[in-house]
Amino acid sequence: MATAQTASSEYSITPPYATNRRSAVGWIASHALRQWPMLLLAVAGALGNAALAGVLPVLMGQAFNLVMAPELDKAGLIRIGLLAAGSQTLRALLQLGRNGGFEMVAQRLERNVRNELYSALLGKSMTFHNLQPVGDTMARATNDVREINLMFNPGINLVVGSLVFLFVPLLNAPRYHPALIITPLAFMLVYFIALWQYLRELRPITEEVRASFGSLNTRLNEALDGIEIVKAASQEQSEVERFGRNVQRYRDAVMRQGNVEARFLPLLLLAVATALGLFHALQLYGQGLLTTGDVVAYFSLLLLLGFPTNVSLFAYSRISLGLASARRILELMNRENNLDQNTAGYNQPMRGDVEFRGVTFSYDGSEPALKEVSFKVRPGQTVAIVGQTGAGKTTLVRLINRTYDVGDGQVLVDGRDVREWSLEALRRQISFIEQDIFLFSQSVGENIAFGKPGAAQEEIERAAQAAQADEFIRTFEAGYATVIGERGVTLSGGQRQRLALARAFLTEPRILILDDSTSAIDSATEDRIQRAIYAAARGRTTFIITHRLSQIRWADLILVMREGRLAACGTHEELMRESEAYRRIFQE
Amino acid sequence: MGFFTGLDAEKYDRKYSDRELVRRIVGYFRAQSGRLAGAGLLVMVVSASSALLPIIVSRGIDQLRESLTAGRVLLIGGGVLAAGVISWVANWGQRRLVVRAVADVVARLARDAFKASAEHDLSFYDEFTSGRIASRITSDTQDFGQLVLLVTDLMAQMVESIILAVVLVNIEWRLTLISFAIIPLVVWLALSYRRLARNVTRAGMRAMATVNQTIKETVSGIAIAKNFRQEKSIYSIFDQANRSSYRVNVRRGLVLASVFPTLNMLSGLMAAVLVYFGGLSAAAGAVTVGAWYLFLLSFDRFMYPVMSLSSFWTQVQNGLSAAERVFALIDAEPNVVQTGSMRPPRLKGAIDFHHVSFRYKDAEPVLDDFDLHIRPGETVALVGHTGAGKSSIARLIARFYEFQQGQICIDGRDIRSFELSAYRCQLGMVTQVPFLFSGTVLENIQYSCSGATAEEIEALARQIGGGEWLETLPQGLHTQVGERGARLSMGQRQLVSLMRVVAQRPPIFILDEATASIDPFTEWQIQQALNLILSRSTSILIAHRLSTVKAADRIIVVERGKIIEEGNHQQLMSRGGHYAVLYDTYFRHQSLSYVEEAGRLKAGAEAGD
Repeated sequence: MATAQTASSEYSITPPYATNRRSAVGWIASHALRQWPMLLLAVAGALGNAALAGVLPVLMGQAFNLVMAPELDKAGLIRIGLLAAGSQTLRALLQLGRNGGFEMVAQRLERNVRNELYSALLGKSMTFHNLQPVGDTMARATNDVREINLMFNPGINLVVGSLVFLFVPLLNAPRYHPALIITPLAFMLVYFIALWQYLRELRPITEEVRASFGSLNTRLNEALDGIEIVKAASQEQSEVERFGRNVQRYRDAVMRQGNVEARFLPLLLLAVATALGLFHALQLYGQGLLTTGDVVAYFSLLLLLGFPTNVSLFAYSRISLGLASARRILELMNRENNLDQNTAGYNQPMRGDVEFRGVTFSYDGSEPALKEVSFKVRPGQTVAIVGQTGAGKTTLVRLINRTYDVGDGQVLVDGRDVREWSLEALRRQISFIEQDIFLFSQSVGENIAFGKPGAAQEEIERAAQAAQADEFIRTFEAGYATVIGERGVTLSGGQRQRLALARAFLTEPRILILDDSTSAIDSATEDRIQRAIYAAARGRTTFIITHRLSQIRWADLILVMREGRLAACGTHEELMRESEAYRRIFQE
Repeated sequence: MGFFTGLDAEKYDRKYSDRELVRRIVGYFRAQSGRLAGAGLLVMVVSASSALLPIIVSRGIDQLRESLTAGRVLLIGGGVLAAGVISWVANWGQRRLVVRAVADVVARLARDAFKASAEHDLSFYDEFTSGRIASRITSDTQDFGQLVLLVTDLMAQMVESIILAVVLVNIEWRLTLISFAIIPLVVWLALSYRRLARNVTRAGMRAMATVNQTIKETVSGIAIAKNFRQEKSIYSIFDQANRSSYRVNVRRGLVLASVFPTLNMLSGLMAAVLVYFGGLSAAAGAVTVGAWYLFLLSFDRFMYPVMSLSSFWTQVQNGLSAAERVFALIDAEPNVVQTGSMRPPRLKGAIDFHHVSFRYKDAEPVLDDFDLHIRPGETVALVGHTGAGKSSIARLIARFYEFQQGQICIDGRDIRSFELSAYRCQLGMVTQVPFLFSGTVLENIQYSCSGATAEEIEALARQIGGGEWLETLPQGLHTQVGERGARLSMGQRQLVSLMRVVAQRPPIFILDEATASIDPFTEWQIQQALNLILSRSTSILIAHRLSTVKAADRIIVVERGKIIEEGNHQQLMSRGGHYAVLYDTYFRHQSLSYVEEAGRLKAGAEAGD
């Protein structure tokens, strides 16, 4: 069995138990088997439920034989009645055990699988998290994990619970006559073939139903959200037609699914099986080999086949959905983790000297995002990075804290290749403020203290003041105790940025990297943002990806990026002399 | 199941009289009447043949006492086979018909609903979120379609049990009464389970919402936690949420897991009672053994229609109110009403507001007795604080809203006399948040009445800033922009929106300028595109950028729906009035002199100020 974490992971949580991550089935099994007491209860319940369901027809047969006898054995009839009542009550209890058992397994698996996934995610490198879209991870941690729950209940619960019903007539039939086994046996064989065929036929169609509904819905939402554009461009008619086409495609898919479901063959097989079974039993009766009660019992046993037949309409697809989800989760957890911690590496206080030497980098094999980039930054300098979207600005700064490793060339901090640094020591002394600032739904104070749990209130307030955030925090009714709404929605972009700056202040990094894309509506706010950034940059090496001319103008070094290359590099005065493109942006 | 629904009502919702509602619903199903009649007939066949099966078997059992000829055996076996096969075939036909009828009705209703939504004016969209409108178009129409399935399923079960009940009563009424005893029990059970499930769910729902929220947040917060090496603390938050999610789910899951065992126990006990009393009756000769068997085979068929019925009314009501919601969406009254349908010739672009008064629904007046005259080809910038009425002026020109008094004339003609879509074809508009549809850049540029070809657009795109912006797109004009344009940067989205107008060459151009920050290189290209448009159209700009106000022929300062100052940048600055104040508030930081001044801020910060 593979262990849940590898030596190269950035952070590890000891899992309660190891799992087999080689295949989806094996992985699910290694989780499920940990729940063996519940599983045992569930399987025992399933077996008992089916067996006792088979008792009722047998008892009915006996009752008929009693009644058909010349002298009625009343006590015998009472006994049969009581046995029927008792067995069916017990059966209900066992069925409850089956349902409850599978339900518990399902819920515990959901909890444990999600925990395992989450622990694995925490162990992944920053590279991984930067490349992996949050929405996709979210879908796997919520929907896919839920599918595994549903795979057990109702999926496996009903499949196991109903499959054992196939055996009840098979095992009980020989009790009346050995030849009676033919019908249930033949049914079982044909049933599986028909079912397999049905599921195979249905799969592509349900996928089409899902896909067509997805595109219908996406375009509908877009059209309604962009209604102003639709109207301004006078495209209402074409949108209505497009919607009509999408609806039609969805309708056709739904209809095809309906067609396949309508001709669900196992139901017809069931009808044929009961008829043939009855015919067979009557023939044996005619030969004097069966009693009336036997015929009744046998026929009633055959009717039990209805349960697996009806259930298979949906129970199997739950399992295949669950397995598909398991595969998606496994794929995420097993994805390579390419940076190592280098715990034994260089571990000294950082001065903040940064150098790029002929750096080339590309995201797995695609066109290089950075080509031959070289520059040198002295401790305490402020570097402005400018360029269009896709020019490589963000990629460049991510090489400094080793979110990615260079393809070619070297990135040096304090004269040492970043790969020689202990990852922990490197990252601890570098603070990164992302473009899309994430705030937790906790209090403002807790958010500021995120990087330094247990920071004193005065420390937090001092950081907030330096980041020009104190003023607006105090306008909130609860001040620093104000809880931020989901994804910081109640704050403006500028306010969030200043909270992030305060957060960075507290950890006192030697290198600060700021991906700044906020814009101020009014000049007073702009003043505050400027002050906050200057205060943050003071005394530490600072990289700012910025659109602000004033930040660019006053930077110690300006890097102009264009299509992955360093198009120009120098101070404002130098670039004004040397670069036509640069001059252009400083014209009014 | 109607347990969890509770859609909020919207203002345009109306109460339809039952008669009106039925009339509308019948209208939608009229086209399907052939299919539905066929399906109804087939439902009868399915039920009758399903009911026939136990009856044939019970007759067969009775035959066992008499001499059983091979012919009779064949007849009984054949009868059961025929009943089964007929039932399957009829069911097949019925489902095909129903699925078609439902799919067609749902599709038609959805189309009608969307068509109506596309025709509603913007005041409608201000009031009602697009998410809710979308849910009426997709999920409410489907809920309505479910009505048919509900009715056919219930009908099948009812007919089958009625046939059986009649047969049973005719055989022996006392045993029948015993069989029927199960009905009130099932009703009681169904109702109490519903209450239980609702309670468990309600208790769990709020807990669940928070838990889901926390799980989502801890997943999206992983990256930041790693940034600060705070994996441990975020894990403990996650772990707690994950555990409480488990507790809530187990509670609900176990309640639901006990529904079927309870029902099975009930029917098992019922079987025991019927085995005993039926046996006694059969022995006494009150019923034949075949009839006894019929009772045993059929008593539990009364359970299903009862189960279905107990939730039937809630579900029917859900379906009906879904229909009502969709109809309300279709019937909502438009506010913008045209008095004529003239298709305007190529406009010159003279725009005149005469004593216009305007307010949004039930709100304070935005414009009051407003006058404005814009000459053909003029570039006018509107400036003022938020809520001054700048956007309203632009939106009235686009005829997105209805004004209450006065007159708006375009080239001297009343704006109300135009055929709207022909008029709007001559307007170019760029909204504050540029909105793109998923598809390629080219498709988005072509999204107008211009009918420009790909080659023409390619040529235009090369004109703007030397086509540099195309090089930053991975596949040039054929780059996919993603949902709502998400794969492009804000600046690129603006450029695409402007290119749409460049390709369209409209006589009138309306720009609500974006406030988002854009890298200075892209900004320069945006400026190139904008300059091209301004040189060819009458332009109304809601300006947020200094360069835009400076480019205007005339700046109009708006406050509380009135023009309080006008002139060009130089004139207004030297006057030192309202515009000068606005400049200091909104535009100062965009000037190059501010950039120079920022050095002082920096020096201040470095001195530890």
